[in-house]
Amino acid sequence: MTVSASTRTIAKTAAAAKSDLHKRLRLGESFIEAFLFFCGAVSILTTLGIVFVLGKESLLFFTSGEVTLWEFISGTEWQPAIGRFGIWALLNSTLMVTAIAMLVALPLGLAVAIYLSEYASLRARSILKPVLEVLAGVPTVVYGYFALTFMTPFLRSIFGDEIVQIYNTAAAGIVIGILVLPLVSSMSEDALHAVPYALREAAYGLGATKLETAIKVVLPAATYGVAAAFIVAISRAIGETMIVAIAAGAGPSFTFNPFESAETMTGHIVRISGGDLSYDSIDYNSIFAIGLMLFVMTLTLNIISRHVVKHFREEYE
Amino acid sequence: MKYKTKSRHIFILMSLLLITSLVAACGGPATPAPQAEPAKMEEPAQTEESTQTEEPARVEESAQTEEATTEETTETASATDSTPDSGSVELPEVDPLAVTGDIISAGSSTVFPLSERMAERFQDEGYGGNITIDSIGSGAGFERFCVAGESDISNASRPIKDSEVESCQSIGREPVEFRVGTDALAIAVSQENDFVESVTLEELAMIFSTAETWADVNPDWPAEPIQRFIPGTDSGTFDYFVEEVFDKDEEPILSAGNLQLSEDDNVLVRGIQGSPYAIGFFGYAYYNENQDTLTVLSIEGVAPTGESAEDGSYPLARPLFIYSTAGIIAEKPQVGAFINFYLTYVNEEVIDVGYFPASEDTLSVAEASLLAALK
Amino acid sequence: MSVKPDSSVASYPEDDGLQSFVKRRHRQGLTWRIVFQAATIVAILALLALLYNIIIGSFGYVALQNKIEPESLHVDGMPLEELSKEQLVIILSEHISKGLMRRLEHDQPFTERTRQDVYNLVIERVVEQRVVKSWSLTVSFFKRDEIETFMAGLPQGKLEFRSWLHWNFLITPQSSTPELAGIRTAIFGTLWVIFITVAVAFPLGVGAAIYLEEYAAHVGNPWLRRLNAIIQTNINNLAGVPSIIYGMLGLVIFVRVMEPLTSGAFLGAVEDATTANGRTILSAGLTLAILILPLIIINAQEAIRAVPNSLRQAGMGLGATKWQTIWHHVLPNAIPGILTGNILAMSRAIGETAPLVVIGASTFITVDPNGPFSKFTTLPIQIYQWTARPQDEFRNIAAAAIIVLLVLLLTLNASAVLLRNRYGKKSL
Repeated sequence: MTVSASTRTIAKTAAAAKSDLHKRLRLGESFIEAFLFFCGAVSILTTLGIVFVLGKESLLFFTSGEVTLWEFISGTEWQPAIGRFGIWALLNSTLMVTAIAMLVALPLGLAVAIYLSEYASLRARSILKPVLEVLAGVPTVVYGYFALTFMTPFLRSIFGDEIVQIYNTAAAGIVIGILVLPLVSSMSEDALHAVPYALREAAYGLGATKLETAIKVVLPAATYGVAAAFIVAISRAIGETMIVAIAAGAGPSFTFNPFESAETMTGHIVRISGGDLSYDSIDYNSIFAIGLMLFVMTLTLNIISRHVVKHFREEYE
Repeated sequence: MKYKTKSRHIFILMSLLLITSLVAACGGPATPAPQAEPAKMEEPAQTEESTQTEEPARVEESAQTEEATTEETTETASATDSTPDSGSVELPEVDPLAVTGDIISAGSSTVFPLSERMAERFQDEGYGGNITIDSIGSGAGFERFCVAGESDISNASRPIKDSEVESCQSIGREPVEFRVGTDALAIAVSQENDFVESVTLEELAMIFSTAETWADVNPDWPAEPIQRFIPGTDSGTFDYFVEEVFDKDEEPILSAGNLQLSEDDNVLVRGIQGSPYAIGFFGYAYYNENQDTLTVLSIEGVAPTGESAEDGSYPLARPLFIYSTAGIIAEKPQVGAFINFYLTYVNEEVIDVGYFPASEDTLSVAEASLLAALK
Repeated sequence: MSVKPDSSVASYPEDDGLQSFVKRRHRQGLTWRIVFQAATIVAILALLALLYNIIIGSFGYVALQNKIEPESLHVDGMPLEELSKEQLVIILSEHISKGLMRRLEHDQPFTERTRQDVYNLVIERVVEQRVVKSWSLTVSFFKRDEIETFMAGLPQGKLEFRSWLHWNFLITPQSSTPELAGIRTAIFGTLWVIFITVAVAFPLGVGAAIYLEEYAAHVGNPWLRRLNAIIQTNINNLAGVPSIIYGMLGLVIFVRVMEPLTSGAFLGAVEDATTANGRTILSAGLTLAILILPLIIINAQEAIRAVPNSLRQAGMGLGATKWQTIWHHVLPNAIPGILTGNILAMSRAIGETAPLVVIGASTFITVDPNGPFSKFTTLPIQIYQWTARPQDEFRNIAAAAIIVLLVLLLTLNASAVLLRNRYGKKSL
């Protein structure tokens, strides 16, 4: 610090001595700065673009006269061809898939995180972390293939063909759980790892076992970080598309049975836009209304998780 | 075609992939493609010159040998050979080798397998351009054809609607219809289903609307919920089914529970395969391709066959079309050439794809309208 | 660092109660330790199941059947193998279409072809061996009786062990017949799209990262300061937006609004403007570029932040301008980190499917894309299409295509890790 401070003073005095150098207008420099600012501003443009596109088409959707906002947020039937636009048919399956995914990913992910952070030897960590990274790097379409050709037959062999339909939310949900597991475990592990070592030593010093230290001391201290991981995972599961498009089914249906097929919001967007994309039709506008809903949901979750993380950072970093 | 299954091949392949992807990583992915492109472009250019002078002679040669030696030539081939003789129209012969330029088509998923087959044969016989065929449903196909005006050919499993003709005209397109075949819409169940063999149209209407379980339709059938798999609302197949079975009212079929819709008929096939209590409908070709896992139902006691589709005794027989315009054909000769090729050879391929040939008369009507468009 | 409580301390009398209490706690600890370990093993098993499922799909026995048995193709009692070239040409012309004969003649006149070549054509085009049924690797090894029963019902059939992943699979274009289909078009499509994605996203992303790290902090204007803070938050939020939303953005902005640009019509790059549309490689590339931009920015920011401040001060102290300092001192040191982040973002883009489905990649396309205004398909799209097909053979080629995709991604990721390990230490 002292060194850098002194350098700066030297630089200042040098500049003062030759003030003509300082005054020269550097066009190139300002141009570069302007260009770099533009690069940064592209992200703002992207957000504005998303909001504008989703907002405009959704507005067309709601002002078309075919659907009221109330019907949209209260209906349980989604069948654009006959004017039924109840988002719950799609939202319900999105939430169901997400819930199943979280049932898989949260306990497993947290357990893996605790194991990696508190128990695993250095060598085990150095092997396991890259393996989990590989799991996170596999494209989602591959997981979709996995869900349809492995998970569904697997579930059917357990529960019977009669009960488990060929497209079902359970298989899609479980596989999404596997997909977000590395995300949960690595974010949680980072949070656990960030807890100061002194806390652990204090616990050990009081006679706590390793488990007690991990569960009663480290985990509570890392609550915010782990919670942030959970929220991000939920947001990711809600927005996941290819797995549900391949394995969850293609008909909007309001059902709570995980072994029946049901279409999620993302799955519906893919099906509609992959097939009948009639511009300026009510179908076309409707997917933007779904998209807006999806955007708002994931954005809210992400903002919450960011705040939670900030809270966590303020506590320990 | 021979495939070698030595594991060594996989090794070589893996290492090659490794190298290519490393190249790609260094920012060089652009290099391989442009190299491939000029080679592709040169070929047709040579073609045009050479085919004009040498090809016809060779064609005659091979045609002669064909006539001289064929005693057991396949029936379909001789049938099309005789088409020009019997009809009043005779299309000019297409030489795919001489055809260049791209063709863009989109539309019905029912017509897709047929168009795909014709496109493959067109390419196999020397066409050097690119045909894209998007399987997006008849309605969306007309949308691209008539509203966005971005496709050359529109595949459809129903005739064009008046409203669609109007929007076509408003962008200066006058659609011309070509009948290419006949489909018997197949009502299919899984082979595990051992209780249904034949249904009446009334039962069909119940199955696809109000009935909750199979027993609701017929007490002899099990009291298991019906799982329905139907083509998306924008497909010609859906429109056709609703028109024939529900008298154009979409409400009942779309209000049914346990309903799966997809523009991709493969999704439906897979769904129906999955359960003995599933039922669905789609173009006959998709049944044809999955005969080992699906059973097709008779309607009113009539099974879908070539004859019953042709004479109309099968209630759900319907025509298949492709659409284009004289303007496009004039502007892009490759489109005219492809449609010509399509109409000339469609009867050789249509059965293998899984549909039924259109009658000679309807085909020669199509040929006549193409001739008119070609002028 | 002993964890066990010291039992000799006076306040902890050494009695059986304590002993069993401690024992129970330790037993509990052990049980949970096993639970945690099991969870980790389950996670690894999931990965193994994924790989297993792909591998068993790509290899296995197939039942083959000929369309026309070679034995039936004899002339005057002479078997096919012994026929002369001329006789083979005749057989060929009897069984294939005139147009095809013409093309074969055009490719290479029959007079110039060798007998073996014509013989191969007969086998390929007339005998036309087709796959009737295929089995996965597990069935191939453990349920031989099932296969044998099937083969018994197929007297003309031939059993063969096949790897669906083979050289021809990589170099042939798409086909409606699974055993003839390949991924050539998809590979070229992927390469083109990624090239555009990286060409757009890399400069923009690194530029934004430089601005945010090097310039934003020294801005005096409070409004601009506020704006910079918004940009930063915004980038972080964008990273969490589902990819399908980007697809919808791309559909409206690139495919529809900017259609004259993305279809190439304004450049006159397409032969006819009437049917050109925005569903091109360029639209796809731009969409994916916007998708991975936040990732690139965040990674590049971290890399730039890791460059020691003393380097900047040294540069400035020697009279370099801000940009000179950044260009000559900061960037060279940050570049390994930036590249690593870029490669990771690139592999994310390669695997993306949903946005491309939304903006409308083509279903069936057999000719290599020849520029940014071409229609296209990519590897993940191809996998998606094939996975949706009900026939087993399509499942086999989907699995083979997945292997290609995974090998590509693993290579990229491995090179990122190598890059990080090689240069990472030097710069710090």
